[in-house]
Amino acid sequence: MAETVRRTSGQTVVNDMEALRQRARELLDAGTVQVIIGYANGSNRRVRPFFARRPEDLERLILDDRCVLNLAVYLRKPEVKALGKAAVIATPPLLRSILQLAAENHYQESEAVFLALDSAGNVLELSSAEQIAGVLGSLPGSTGQDACVPSADRMPALSAGSTDRQARFAFWKQEFERCIRCYACRAACPMCYCEQCLVDSNQPQWIPVAAHSIGNLEWHISRAMHLAGRCVNCGACSEACPAGIPLNLVNQFLADRIQQEFGQKAGTSAKLDYALSVFSGSDRETFIK
Amino acid sequence: MSRIGVFVCHCGENIGATVDCAQVAQMSSSIPGVVHSVDYKYMCSDPGQTLIKEAVKEKKLTGVVVAACSPRMHEPTFRRACAEAGLNSFLCEMANIREHCSWVHEKGDQTTQKAADLVRVLVEKVKRNRPLRPIQVPVTKTALVLGGGIAGIQASLDIANAGQKVILVEKDPSIGGHMAQLSETFPTLDCSQCILTPRMVEVAQHPNITLLSYSELESLDGFIGNFKARIRKKARKVDEKLCTGCAVCTQKCPQKKIPSKFNAGLGMRTAIFVPFPQAVPNKPVIDIENCRYFKTGKCAVCQKLCPAKAVRFEQEDEILEIDVGAVVCATGFDVVNTDFFPEYGYGKYPDVINGLQYERLASASGPTLGEIRRPSDGKIPETVVFLACAGSRDRAKGIDYCSKICCMYTAKHAMLYRHKVHSGKAYVFYMDIRAGGKMYDEFVRRAIEEDGAIYVRGRVSRIYERDGKLIVKGADTLLGGEPIEIKADMVVLATAAVASPAAEELAQKLHISYDSYKFFSEAHPKLRPVETNTAGIFLAGACQAPKDIPESVAQASGAASKVCGLFSQDQLSREPLIAAVNRTAPPQYSSCTGCFLCESVCPYRAIERETITTRGGKPIRTIARVNPGLCQGCGTCVAVCRVKAIDLDGFSNSQLYAEVRALA
Repeated sequence: MAETVRRTSGQTVVNDMEALRQRARELLDAGTVQVIIGYANGSNRRVRPFFARRPEDLERLILDDRCVLNLAVYLRKPEVKALGKAAVIATPPLLRSILQLAAENHYQESEAVFLALDSAGNVLELSSAEQIAGVLGSLPGSTGQDACVPSADRMPALSAGSTDRQARFAFWKQEFERCIRCYACRAACPMCYCEQCLVDSNQPQWIPVAAHSIGNLEWHISRAMHLAGRCVNCGACSEACPAGIPLNLVNQFLADRIQQEFGQKAGTSAKLDYALSVFSGSDRETFIK
Repeated sequence: MSRIGVFVCHCGENIGATVDCAQVAQMSSSIPGVVHSVDYKYMCSDPGQTLIKEAVKEKKLTGVVVAACSPRMHEPTFRRACAEAGLNSFLCEMANIREHCSWVHEKGDQTTQKAADLVRVLVEKVKRNRPLRPIQVPVTKTALVLGGGIAGIQASLDIANAGQKVILVEKDPSIGGHMAQLSETFPTLDCSQCILTPRMVEVAQHPNITLLSYSELESLDGFIGNFKARIRKKARKVDEKLCTGCAVCTQKCPQKKIPSKFNAGLGMRTAIFVPFPQAVPNKPVIDIENCRYFKTGKCAVCQKLCPAKAVRFEQEDEILEIDVGAVVCATGFDVVNTDFFPEYGYGKYPDVINGLQYERLASASGPTLGEIRRPSDGKIPETVVFLACAGSRDRAKGIDYCSKICCMYTAKHAMLYRHKVHSGKAYVFYMDIRAGGKMYDEFVRRAIEEDGAIYVRGRVSRIYERDGKLIVKGADTLLGGEPIEIKADMVVLATAAVASPAAEELAQKLHISYDSYKFFSEAHPKLRPVETNTAGIFLAGACQAPKDIPESVAQASGAASKVCGLFSQDQLSREPLIAAVNRTAPPQYSSCTGCFLCESVCPYRAIERETITTRGGKPIRTIARVNPGLCQGCGTCVAVCRVKAIDLDGFSNSQLYAEVRALA
């Protein structure tokens, strides 16, 4: 089985953890929020999501480059909502997700507080989409490739500029063969917020649920199409995949096409129309007029 | 368990000659759920329908499939038959084995097999149909008439006189349209304004008509009986209520050299102006592009002198939102300008004019007060050449059609010239004389025989200037194509009638179809000439095709009677094939996630936001809801919904899925 290059260095990139903890403590003490959602060390040098409800729990909070799980998924969960208002330790990919969720009516103003660190090590407290959009570009790590990238030698078909469709298709067919249909990608994705997923419907059954080639291909193509123009490239799907399929590349390919064709990018603004459903006079294809 | 009846129609030879109908019926009988299956020569005939009715009763059918022609032809017939037999009409479906099978294939086993497949698909669909009831929607009994020319005026008056409310929207400052510009009208030579202005005044005074002049349609939403129109009332910069129409402003305005559109560019007007003396409403408008105050911030003479203090430089455009039940589109036509013709001087000779300009020269209210004086030097022309078919019926010019009115008005023009200039010579070049109409041919004969117009059958190849004369070079095809050259003082081109420049944009706003010349399309060229393909929108006048006054008026009255027929009902019945958002048990309440993608794609704005609340009124979640009055059942929302939380009655996801599976 091929292996994805995972970022497991464990090197702490955040030197100002104490400032972050201090701010979180203040929020909890003041009762502004009831829970802090962040990361903590799990077993086997893994990072796990962590829900701190008491000030003493905050000591366990960590933030390093292993923290790629997108915490935005928890904001949509009823059991997390039941804990009360949340403050979330925020990374740029998470903030992009929040902007895109706001664009899709799935994040309401001031629903949660986001604690981010700027390049000077100051703690920023953000809650409105406007604030997020304002600072996002200046946060450390907000540019460049956030998601994990498989090494180029593993997939010559995907190396930059490759236009060989057949090679690409052969590559993906082979990758999707390994899918065990655990739907970890769906669970990790902040944009997969549907309560009843298309694949869970059996009247009619759109997509075969057994883990075999045809159903796997249909599932991943459907998911890619449903995320077209919405994926913010956090890479959580690839991280979550137990079979090591570099799923975010499919979504990123579509995101790039959307940007080429329509000049817009998910996760840059809370006021973004869905590129595939709206028409504007400046769109290149004028057949629809 | 379903009990489906299959009825295979031969349609005489139409289906029977290519498809083995008896075998289709026999093959259908083995489909699970089919309990009855017969074929018959003409299912739509009375005995055919009786077959269906009796089977519904005797076999206790829960669904009917009629394998016959297109549902556009006979679906209502068979649904009614089922309803009479006590079966909900939406449990009856048609398999189209004529247009989709027998007409497009050769006779053979494969054709019969395809017919049987089509039946099988429909059986699977009908099994999943559920009984539906037609939706009743109310009718807003107000008509919107677009365009205040003679067609719009006539339609408005007819609808208003029938007791219904009318909103008449005119883009120009005054109603009247092209007819107000004409001098005399064929075939009786009565003065155009004398017969038009009483109608214009009647419009202004009619209690059922609201006149919105200097206004344009911004957008139209909704559907028959329930349209929502947004109308931009352009800023006149004059308070219509205070203005008394005293005309002090128009006399004193220092900007006097602006070509008047009403006078087809031959006369001048001021920057604050009333287009013509009989204008309705008789209130001036400031043309801000030419007004000295708007260009330099200084002047304001009109404001200072206005005794009623009615000038309002700060006035802004206003958007009115109006509910209407029907729309009459009477936006008229335009004529091509002389600069369209390189061979006739590209518009550079001032004495080569078009028919509309000639009308203004001949009109008593025109720039020459009715004397025929040529534009260049104001002299009375001794020889005038009239050219019919300037642009019309000319493929090289991209105008293949006949403009229809030119033969008649050219005869009128020649006649008027001879009446006013007795010594003058009037030549008319023509291709054919098309004078079909009551008293029309007699009129043309009178021009030739009594008024001495010289008719030359042939076309003009070139016009150029030499020694102060316009040289018209043509051929007389009745004399063997002999070249002919006339030294003229003035040339009048009967230029082609074309769709108005804004026609295409308007058609898109109204969602109506238009032809390649941008004229609006009627629903059927013979049997539905005033309807469009969009229910509730009707056509009147030359926006549909070039028309003369009697025809425009007749069509306007036709459109008005259609509107009145629509307004005679309090409620309209609509097919209930509309979308709905699913509802499930708490705590979800619906699988809708509230992303409102459906809202952004719905062309009818039928998606609303519904907040589900607890009994105490506390909001739980917001989901989409389909307004059944607005939904037209297009299914776009169903296609974009990622969760499939929205579904279309009569064409549900599970039905379509089953239909596809039936072919596997």
